[in-house]
Amino acid sequence: MKTVLTDDMLKGYFQPDAEPGQLARQVLLAARASARESEKLLDRLAIQATTEGISLIRAARLEKPATAGARRLVERAREELYEYFQGKRAFFSVPVDLSETPDFQRRVLEAARGIPFGEVRPYAWVAQKIGHPRAVRAVGTALGRNPVPFIVPCHRVLQSGGGIGGYLFGSETKSGLLALERTTPIYEGCASTHIVCRVGCSSGRRMRPDNRVVFASVQDARSVGYRPCKVCKPSRAA
Amino acid sequence: MEHDKRLMGRVARGDEAAFTELVGRYAGRLLGVARRLLGSRADAEDAVQRALLQCYLGAGTYQAEWAVSTWLYRILTNVCVDELRRRTSRSGQLEPPARPDAPGQYLDLHRALVRVPTEARVLLVLRYVDGLSYGELARIRGISINTVKSQLARGKSLLRTALTKGGAS
Repeated sequence: MKTVLTDDMLKGYFQPDAEPGQLARQVLLAARASARESEKLLDRLAIQATTEGISLIRAARLEKPATAGARRLVERAREELYEYFQGKRAFFSVPVDLSETPDFQRRVLEAARGIPFGEVRPYAWVAQKIGHPRAVRAVGTALGRNPVPFIVPCHRVLQSGGGIGGYLFGSETKSGLLALERTTPIYEGCASTHIVCRVGCSSGRRMRPDNRVVFASVQDARSVGYRPCKVCKPSRAA
Repeated sequence: MEHDKRLMGRVARGDEAAFTELVGRYAGRLLGVARRLLGSRADAEDAVQRALLQCYLGAGTYQAEWAVSTWLYRILTNVCVDELRRRTSRSGQLEPPARPDAPGQYLDLHRALVRVPTEARVLLVLRYVDGLSYGELARIRGISINTVKSQLARGKSLLRTALTKGGAS
């Protein structure tokens, strides 16, 4: 059979090779893996709270919180963690209670809390931040005993050479969390209300999925007619 | 050829063959857009893969009032815009992405495009890679048609200035 050369054929031939079959396969594999990972981790976690805030998160059995207020905080933390693991939350609003934590460790944890979502810092940066530049090892220990992992993001602290460093739940979970944060957006707008929120804001949760528009900054969102949410105040996000 | 929307219905029911068919139809165009937004082929493939994953997992939320291509472009531009945010926050400034495969005469244009603010850049790329209408662009970015027009005009004027200044160095 004779082949007739057409423009369409030439276009098709010179198109970048997208290998759709392979691409689809990779996506399907990722879909099967991602669905279970986050729920598995959350199932393992026990959360404890005081009336002031979340005081302990561990993969162990913990006592039930004593008061109704504390129980509500635990519920809220569980919900926020679930959304976080699903890539639908870029900040935690549930308070933490570090009042039982020794002073040095509390300063370390507060410095770690200052690391923006999706970013990483070396242990030495934390040491510098708390005014003890030589206490790198002690910083590592303090972070290793972080009572409220995830919410206080000790997983964002790495070795200076770029090594992943230790983690309460194993280094695989640590790099998994960092990968998760790399693919979770921070600002999203609602196409029907033209309001821009931080991802995870309570008003954003009511948004229909097809109204979700991601922005690179609040300024970008403003430039196309969106206004910042008054509840989550995205301009203040780091 | 089966209609796009019927195909999406099958994807929503978890039909993997339908998903493979959908990817076959759109992967090339999605990669084209992602590549012009993000520069490198590897970053573009990564973004398209993430967008397709969201499309597969969220197929149940697809509304038939959307053209499938518009819906896919929304998801893809959401992923790409966030990737651009990450680059800006990492370096504290606009990062000229490596594009060693850009032919000589386009290199200046490519450098100039990087300086156009994100929203206008996304619209320019969608408009020129796939010839989308103002209405489609408005839907994809969740903005009004007037905003689309003013952003495109602004983007083009910035490009023109950058090019006449000589290579946007």
